[in-house]
Amino acid sequence: MKFDTVITGGGLAGLIAGISLQKEGRSTAIVSSGQNALHFFSGTFESMKESPARLQEILSEAGIRANYADGVRLMPMGTFRESALSLEDISLFEKPAFARKALIVNFMGYHDFFFSFIADGLQKEGIEARVRFLRLPEMEHLRQSPSEMRSVQIARIMDRIWEKVVQEIRLLLKDDDAVILPQVFGLQDISVPGRIREALPAKVVFVGTLPPSVPGLRTQMQLRRRYETLGGTFLMGDEVKSAHIHEGVVHSVVTQNLGNHYLEADSFILATGSFFSKGLISTPESVYEPIIGLDVNASDDRNTWYNPDFAGKQPYMDFGLVTDDDLHPFKDGEPIKNMYAIGSVLGNTRPELGTGAGAAIRSAFKAVDSILSKA
Amino acid sequence: MKPNEFDIIIIGGGITGAGTQRDCAMRGLRTLLIEKSDISTGATGRNHGLLHSGARYAVNDAESAEECIRENMILRRIAAHCVDETDGLFITLPEDDLAYQATFVESCRKAGIRADIIDPEEAKRLEPSVNPDLIGAVRVPDGSVDPFRLCAANMLDAKIHGGQVRLYTEVTGFIREGDTIKGVHTRNVQTGEEQDFYAPVTVNAAGIWGHKIAEMAGVNVGMFPAKGALLIFAHRINNMVINRCRKPSNADILVPGDTVCIIGTTSTRIPFEECDDVAVTPDEVNLLISEGAKLSPALMSTRILRAYAGVRPLVSADNDPTGRNISRGIVCLDHEERDGLKGFITITGGKLMTYRLMAEMATDTVCRKLGIDKKCETADTPLPGSEEKSYKEVAQTIWENPSMAQKSAASRLGTRASRLHVNDKYEDSLICECEEVSVGEINAAIERMDVTTLTDLRRRTRIGMGTCQGEFCACRAAGLLAKAHGCIERERADLNNFLTERWKGNFPIGWGDTLREAEYTQWVYKHVLGI
Repeated sequence: MKFDTVITGGGLAGLIAGISLQKEGRSTAIVSSGQNALHFFSGTFESMKESPARLQEILSEAGIRANYADGVRLMPMGTFRESALSLEDISLFEKPAFARKALIVNFMGYHDFFFSFIADGLQKEGIEARVRFLRLPEMEHLRQSPSEMRSVQIARIMDRIWEKVVQEIRLLLKDDDAVILPQVFGLQDISVPGRIREALPAKVVFVGTLPPSVPGLRTQMQLRRRYETLGGTFLMGDEVKSAHIHEGVVHSVVTQNLGNHYLEADSFILATGSFFSKGLISTPESVYEPIIGLDVNASDDRNTWYNPDFAGKQPYMDFGLVTDDDLHPFKDGEPIKNMYAIGSVLGNTRPELGTGAGAAIRSAFKAVDSILSKA
Repeated sequence: MKPNEFDIIIIGGGITGAGTQRDCAMRGLRTLLIEKSDISTGATGRNHGLLHSGARYAVNDAESAEECIRENMILRRIAAHCVDETDGLFITLPEDDLAYQATFVESCRKAGIRADIIDPEEAKRLEPSVNPDLIGAVRVPDGSVDPFRLCAANMLDAKIHGGQVRLYTEVTGFIREGDTIKGVHTRNVQTGEEQDFYAPVTVNAAGIWGHKIAEMAGVNVGMFPAKGALLIFAHRINNMVINRCRKPSNADILVPGDTVCIIGTTSTRIPFEECDDVAVTPDEVNLLISEGAKLSPALMSTRILRAYAGVRPLVSADNDPTGRNISRGIVCLDHEERDGLKGFITITGGKLMTYRLMAEMATDTVCRKLGIDKKCETADTPLPGSEEKSYKEVAQTIWENPSMAQKSAASRLGTRASRLHVNDKYEDSLICECEEVSVGEINAAIERMDVTTLTDLRRRTRIGMGTCQGEFCACRAAGLLAKAHGCIERERADLNNFLTERWKGNFPIGWGDTLREAEYTQWVYKHVLGI
C-alpha cells in the first residue's frame, strides 16, 4: 500500500498532521494502537492562547469549538490556573471570584468528581458554595458492578437524559448564580454542554473528573471522523513494528496486522507519544525508541532519572528523540531525511505547565509545512 | 484512678507493642499504647510477611527455630484471617551443595519442624514457578502473614479489652522519681498538644527507635540498625514460599501474599540517623532481581510494584560491647535488675513471627512487677476476625446477601467483615479498584480504626497498594477523609504526602510499565486535576 505520508500514532499530534496533509490533497494513513494522551486531555491546550488561524480552522471544520479569554479556569481540585485556548466546555473567567453563590451538583456515589475540594476552592475566593447530589433511577444499573460509576459510563447515560438532569437542577437552584457540574456531558451528542448552558438560569461551569476525559474522548472521535471524511486511512488497533531504511531514507513500515503488506510512503511521521503510549521504552539500563531504535536524548545513569519529590520536575519526562531543527530524528548519529518526529515523543513535557497539547500541535504544523514544501 | 493514670504504658505501635498491649489488657491491666507515628510503620510493616516455619534458622539458631514453629502453629489458630497456609519449599540449585540438604532436614526435625524431602519433579508440579533446574527440594510448613492486619487485629482486641491507643504521639521525656520511672511526657506531633501519663511500669517496645527511648530513660540498650531491602512484584507468581536450601544469604526468600509476591532481603548496617527514612539503592534492586530470579525465573519478566526497606532492631549481647555477637533472638530486659532503674522494661530483638511470645515475656515481667498472678491466654484466644475457623465458611453461612463491601473486606477483616455497617448501596462502590476497597470499608476504618491520613488508611485497608499505586484511589479516598475530618486544607497536604510516599517506593524500580504508570500519574495529578 502506497501513501504520500504514513503517520504512526493517532493522538492529537498524529491527527492534526493527518488532517492538515489531507486538506492539502495528500494521501495519508494513520496507524493507531488506540492508546493516547487525549484519554486524559484536560480540554485545555495549555501553552496556547489565541488559536492560530489554521488550528481554529481545523477544529471548527471538525465541529470542535474552542475559545480563549484572558483570565483563569477552575481545576478539578478546586484550584485556579491561568486560562488558555480551551474547548467550549471549559469556562474561562476574568478572575477567580467569578460568581457569588455556586451550586455544585454531583451524582450520588460518583467519587471521581472532587466536589468538596471545589467547594473549598470557591469559598477561598469568597464564593458561597453548596453541594447537592442527584439520585437518578436511570443510573441505578451502573451500581450492579461497583466499578461502573466512571465518567464514560455516566456520559453515555447523560447523552440520553441530560434534559432530566436540567430539570432536577432547576428544582435545586435558589439564588445561585453558578452551577458546577462534572465533565460528563456530550460524549456522543456534542451539542449537550451548550444546550445545558442555555437551559439553566445561571452560569454553568463544567469541571474535570478523573480520566477517561469525556471532552478528550469526544475530541479524538471528532478529529478522527474529520480525518476520515477527508479521505484519510485510519488503521485502528494496529501497531508499527519496524521500518525499512536504506541510506538514511525510510521506504516503508511494517505493521502487526498487515504483515507483508508494507505501508510505503514518501515521508513518515512518528507521533508515538512518550512512555505512557510506548513511544519510548525504559529498561533498568536505558531508554530506547522501540520501532527503529532512533537516537534518544536520555541519561544512561538511572540514578539521575527521578526527582524523589513527586511534586517536583521529573528528569525522565525530559527524555525524547534527538532531532535536527526540521524535526528529523537521528539513527546512529545520522538524520533520517524523510521522517519527522512530533508530539510528546520529543520529550521536554511538563504536565504542570501542560506543554503536551501545545507542543503536539506546533510540532505537527512544523512537520506538515516541511513535507508540503518539498513536493 | 485519674484518666491519665494506667497500670502500664507501652511505647511503640508495631506488632510487639500491639501484642503486648493485647496481652496486658487481657490480663486485666489498664493499658495505654503510645506511638509517634501510625501503627506498623517500622519493621512490622517492612518485611516479607513470611510465616516462618523456623526452617531458615534450624541449622544455625535452634532456639529461634523452635520458637518459630511453635508460634507458627499458634498464629494459624489465633490469626487465621491474617495467615495464608501456603507451605514452603527449600530448593537446592546446581550451584548449591546438595549435602547441606541432609544437615538442614536433620536440624529441622530436631527443632520439631516437619521437613519432607521431595523429588524435584514433584516440587515443579507443586510449584510450577520454581526454577526448573533445581536438584533438590524440601517441603516445610512456611506460609505468609499480613503484618498490617495482624497488628491492627491485636490493637483492636486490646481496645475491646479496654486499652487506649494514642497515635501520632511521641514520648518527649520520662517522669522520674529517684530510681523509678513514674510515667511519660508526650506531645501530639499533629496538634502539638502536650500531655503527661502515669503508670507504675512502662514498656519500651519501640523497635529500633527503642535505642533512643532507652537513652532517654538513662539506660543503654546496644542496638544495631540493619537495613533489609525488598521488592514487591505485581503478580503472585508463586503459590508456595520458595527459599534457597543453603546458609541464609541475600534475596533468597520469595513469599506470596494476596495478589503479589515479595523477594528479599538484604542486610546492611546503617547509622541511626537513617532509620526514619531508609531508601533502596539501584544496586540493591539489581541484586534482589538477579538473585530472586534464581528462585523463580519468571521474576525477570514480572512487573515490579515497589521497592521498600525496613530496619531490623538487632541487639548485641550484654557482655559484648563490640556488637559482633549479634543475636536475632528475643531480648527482654528488666532495667531494675539490669540497671537499677525501676518501672521500666525493654522488649526487643525477635521477629514478626515471635511477637506473641515477646508480648507474653514482657507481660509476664510486668505482672511479676505489679504482683499480679494471671496466666497468659493469647496463645489460645483467637484475634478479632478469626473467631471462627474459616472466614470463608462464615461468609457463606451468615451472610445471605453479603454486600460487595463485605465480600471484598472479608479477606482483610475476617469474620468482622460481617459487622461492616453498610448504610446503603452507595457504600458498596469501590474507591480502590486494584484492591477492591469499598466506600463502606473506608468509612468504617476512618470511624473505628484511628485513621488521620491516607497512609494510615492504606495500612488498614490496602488502598493504594495495588497496581496503580494510588493513582486513582488516592484522590477518591481523600474526598472521604476530607468529609470525615471536615478539613480540606489538611487533606490537600495529606494527598501530596501520600503521593510522595508512593513515589518513594516506585522510583527505585522506575522503568518499564512502572515508569509508564508513574508518568500517567504525573499527568493526572499535575495536568488534569491540578494539585
